[in-house]
Amino acid sequence: MKFGKSKQAGPLSPGLARTIEEITARYRKREALRFENRIYTYQEMNEESNKIAGGLAGLGLGKGDRIALMLPNIPEFVFSFFGIQKLGAIVVPFNTMYKGREISFILRDSGAKAIICLSNFSNMIQEIQSECPELKHIIITGQRTFVFVEPEGSVNIQMVFERGRFPDPKEAFFTVGEVLVEVFRKLGAADAWYSHQGAVRAGGRKLATIMISEIENLYICNIMTWLKPMDTAPLFKVLYVPPEIKERALEPMTSILQESGTDVPLETFKQVLVDSLGSRLGVVFEEGRLTRDEKIAYEKNRALAGRLV
Amino acid sequence: MAQKEHTWRLLYNPEGDVADIVAYGASVAEGRIAGKYQLSTTLVPDTLIIQRSREKGIIAGADVTVDKNLAAANSIAIAKMARQGRNSARAIGTIQLSELTSKASRNFSSVDVDPDDPAVIIYTSGTTGNPKGAMLTHRNFHFQCTTIVKSLISFTHEDRVIGVLPLYHIYGLANALIVSFHYGACLVLMPQYSPQSLLETIDRNRATIMPAIPSMYQLLLGLARTKSRSINIPKSLRACISGGAPLSLAVMKDFMTVFDTKIMEGYGLTESTSSVCANGVGGIYKEGSIGKAADGVELNVFDEQGREVPDGSEGEIAIRSETLFKGYWNNLEATREVLNDEGWFFTGDLGYRDSEGFYFITDRKKDIIITHGYNISPREVEEVLAEHPKVVEAAVVNVPNVKGDETVTAFVVPKFSGPEGAADPAGKPTHRELQEFCELHLAPYKRPRQYVIVDSLPKSATGKVLRRELRGESEDTRLIERSDA
Repeated sequence: MKFGKSKQAGPLSPGLARTIEEITARYRKREALRFENRIYTYQEMNEESNKIAGGLAGLGLGKGDRIALMLPNIPEFVFSFFGIQKLGAIVVPFNTMYKGREISFILRDSGAKAIICLSNFSNMIQEIQSECPELKHIIITGQRTFVFVEPEGSVNIQMVFERGRFPDPKEAFFTVGEVLVEVFRKLGAADAWYSHQGAVRAGGRKLATIMISEIENLYICNIMTWLKPMDTAPLFKVLYVPPEIKERALEPMTSILQESGTDVPLETFKQVLVDSLGSRLGVVFEEGRLTRDEKIAYEKNRALAGRLV
Repeated sequence: MAQKEHTWRLLYNPEGDVADIVAYGASVAEGRIAGKYQLSTTLVPDTLIIQRSREKGIIAGADVTVDKNLAAANSIAIAKMARQGRNSARAIGTIQLSELTSKASRNFSSVDVDPDDPAVIIYTSGTTGNPKGAMLTHRNFHFQCTTIVKSLISFTHEDRVIGVLPLYHIYGLANALIVSFHYGACLVLMPQYSPQSLLETIDRNRATIMPAIPSMYQLLLGLARTKSRSINIPKSLRACISGGAPLSLAVMKDFMTVFDTKIMEGYGLTESTSSVCANGVGGIYKEGSIGKAADGVELNVFDEQGREVPDGSEGEIAIRSETLFKGYWNNLEATREVLNDEGWFFTGDLGYRDSEGFYFITDRKKDIIITHGYNISPREVEEVLAEHPKVVEAAVVNVPNVKGDETVTAFVVPKFSGPEGAADPAGKPTHRELQEFCELHLAPYKRPRQYVIVDSLPKSATGKVLRRELRGESEDTRLIERSDA
């Protein structure tokens, strides 16, 4: 590594955006950031921050606006932080471990107009968005989702269907939420309720997560729910979480067994889901298999899923 | 044909695996998207897929790194989700950051700000009520970097700084991110922390400066002591900073020896942006002290009437500095409670100053336990318990009991000796042992009435003990309750 002669300029001016600009002018090609196997120079970091400032300005955000930042230590935190400074806006960073009401309070109190968060948290933020009238934009980055599945406890449901069925995406969320509530109630979980976009809860605890994505003419809906409580101990053996914060690392969840006292077999769950969904959508279900074309895609996707770095 | 529109296909896969969970939905979606895999003309109907995995597993996003060996050793299968790109499905109601920036210019002319405008609002939890948003200004950070840090540590553009502390917290934000860039240094970011990965990151990057919290020093030291051949102890650190909670003298000394470095212990609060004093500066260290005031900072001790107290007398520690926050966001009342007209910020920490200008914290103002008319300092009792050979740390709180009264209770963490699950030759301390130990060292009214052995104490992001949780008073704010308003 070479240490070139740095320009000996005087003290930096106050103002975080200005500091970054002056430092970048001084150390342009020098390393600013290392992350995993990537190195960003001061110039690169400055440009990434400029792009974020420009993008946020394009959403109509500007001086004095509060923008929440709920990110772990990844480069996007740094770029977003300085991007927001360049905009003259105010960064409201908070703990990525926060859940539910804690986030809702901060977003409401600060009057944040936008939040930049990991894609994993988008459904939690959507769930509380109705409580935060100022929050207009949920900006997501990173792909750090971590889903734990178990043979006894967890069920994964996907739906792929025509977007034309629900012209308003909120209606898609609402319908799926209502169907799930009906299913849970039929199975004995009397306290189940649809909690805005993103979840079905019983009491304050999560009983199902709902995520809906759109692509071209399709909606892809991903649901995860639990028949029985999940044993999360194995998860923590693979993923290190400092012992003193383990309790806070997971969102409180519940299961059909805990809510209803009944050990519901997967077959029963399937039947009830198919009945409720069928009557709600006015469709019948025919058990089938993947087509030949889908089978090709399936083999490719399986191979990709198994390719670990 | 009309019939078809009312028929959905059901794919039922009750005995699949983690890769199936990822692959099924993706393949059905791909099959439906025009232009892809159109090998046949069969139309694919809308589809419902119900799946269960026959094995324990993790489905990980593209940016998650999972330790393959560790997963295999614990019989956990892993599947990776496909990387989302610009042409992938997008979650409804959200914007991808990459989408936002792809259209934006590399140039942006910064909006002018007043140095006294808030740059950041950081929410801090008090002992009661909702968190308060501390407004930190551009001037606060500027003064921190140009004056305070300069008097404590010599940052240069050749330093490589470990960014393991969370940047959303003031400690990491000010001392890793902002200071590092102010001096043109290189910040080494760590998204996920484990003692092992921290050790490797220091080593691989030959890091020179590390701000960290006491438990990290303790665990790194523990790892270094396992004497495993695969562990290389890096000696590149020239300066370490500890903060957030007190660092035990033994850990500090041993760490400095094993890693051939220096540790400085800083003291500061969210409301002070930066450390306002530090112990161990220039090798001058006083046990139990938080150090002397840093350059540009005034510290003082006041009694309850707001009068300055002489050296050696206890009172509340107050700070006056250009790094002091502007106030709490939208909360003038809370601001006035802690910030007086002369610009003093009252920390809520009780303590004193010795004749050489070193400050000592004796307790938190609101953590004092009052029992049968006596004031007990939990900190004093905790320090006694921590000296017990079988104890790592302890927290003493007043716990409500069934009689509607309160019981002074000590939560005790037994010494960690070896990897998790390994037999502990020393054994856990018994109630009786702890009681006898306290009888030796404490006045009767200060002795806990009850001892609870726990694996760990609940702590904040920087390692402060969350006493409310121990008292069982904290609400579970992770819950989202139904509001029928």
